[in-house]
Amino acid sequence: MTGRFPRRSTMFATVVAAATLGAIGFAGISFGAVIVGETRRIDLSPKATPGMDAMKAQYRRPATIPFPKENPYTPEKVALGKKLYFDTRLSVTSAQSCASCHSPGFGWGDGLAVGVGHGMAKLGRHSPTIVNAAWGEIFMWDGRLATLEEQALGPIQAAGEMNMPLEQLMARLASIGEYKPLFATAFPDEGMNSKTLAKAIATYERTVVSERAPFDAWIEGNEKAISGEAKRGFAVFNGKALCSSCHEGWNFTNDGFQDIGLPSKDVGRGEFMPGVIKMQHAFKTPGLREIARRSPYMHDGSLATLEAVVDHYDHGGVDRPSRSDLMKPLGLTTQEKSDLVAFMQTLTSNLSPTAVPVLPR
Amino acid sequence: MHKTIMFALVILCGLSAGALAANQMIHQKGRVFSSESVSIKKGDALTFINDDSIPHNIMSGTKGSEFNLGSQAPGMSTDVTFKETGDIQVICAIHPRMKMMVKVTD
Repeated sequence: MTGRFPRRSTMFATVVAAATLGAIGFAGISFGAVIVGETRRIDLSPKATPGMDAMKAQYRRPATIPFPKENPYTPEKVALGKKLYFDTRLSVTSAQSCASCHSPGFGWGDGLAVGVGHGMAKLGRHSPTIVNAAWGEIFMWDGRLATLEEQALGPIQAAGEMNMPLEQLMARLASIGEYKPLFATAFPDEGMNSKTLAKAIATYERTVVSERAPFDAWIEGNEKAISGEAKRGFAVFNGKALCSSCHEGWNFTNDGFQDIGLPSKDVGRGEFMPGVIKMQHAFKTPGLREIARRSPYMHDGSLATLEAVVDHYDHGGVDRPSRSDLMKPLGLTTQEKSDLVAFMQTLTSNLSPTAVPVLPR
Repeated sequence: MHKTIMFALVILCGLSAGALAANQMIHQKGRVFSSESVSIKKGDALTFINDDSIPHNIMSGTKGSEFNLGSQAPGMSTDVTFKETGDIQVICAIHPRMKMMVKVTD
């Protein structure tokens, strides 16, 4: 150091020192348009544990189905959407319909570990149920689609699934004489196109709602509707087992994304949020309605029974940086585990049979 | 060098203390942001407080104003200073129903 530029060298050293301190002390600091300060602990007033009545009040069924203002309910749309949903001619082979993988016979799933697509090839993930999709905030296991209308067109076009280009599909439907008047009635101003196809299917799907289960009767005050084991399981679900941190509300999901430590290479939500550690191996939390009819479980269908699912959560899964901070060994007793399963069984209704529609020719 | 480090510390502490003084608070209790939309002046900070019972992951993917707080545990608080004007969408990566707009003005 010559002493000729003492101030500049001091400033330079200061910047280096500040940057070093920043890097060591406050890893979040950045020098872009946004500066993240240090994270500090604050005092939160201790929360009173909610009583059983307050807890139960959070699980009341809604009175009506929400429909978006861009695609309001009409019975004509539902009737058309139901025919499209069950029509195998929506796939290039004319062998698969939406209902092939989302069948009312299996709680609106397919009962398989992973879906089966075009050419009977296995897909990478479990076919999710469409039950209560009307309340969904975001769609697909990895959340890559924002609306149910977009979702309806996804599997139709996906090469591995129904493999049907939309242009080809609309030409095929136009050649089926009885479809045209159905579209004209349901969409008098919009006609027959891929947008109205998506709107009709989505509207039908929104009407697929889990029916009243024993759990609902208990929530509404019938103490005899579920067993003592199930009631204890409800308390464990909302307490020690932390299930309700994610499986919350009447549909038992907040549509959040969590890595629950399943030993799968699939990065899930991480594909769309590559820089966010907690989104690696994260999948959307599924609702639990009709759960007893929806085995096998998890995004990869890797667990055959509800007992195995409870064991997985009790163990905590693979410990890795992306794993949810809520996942940790729970230390559940044998009784607590069987109570949890007894509780989950009460979320399944006696779904009324769904009549397959007569399809246009 | 010792003086230099002290100087740097004073700068950093000053920044934090300054930010503490008049920040708008954004709470996250019940998996919702306490405001859907806030307006702040360029150079001001928001304080994101996790007063919920579960971790959140506050971030923004708005071009030029990207940031990511990572997993923020309940009982933790972080200041975020916005230096450029614009509309910045802030989300919780974990909970897609949590979204808000930060309008940064001159």
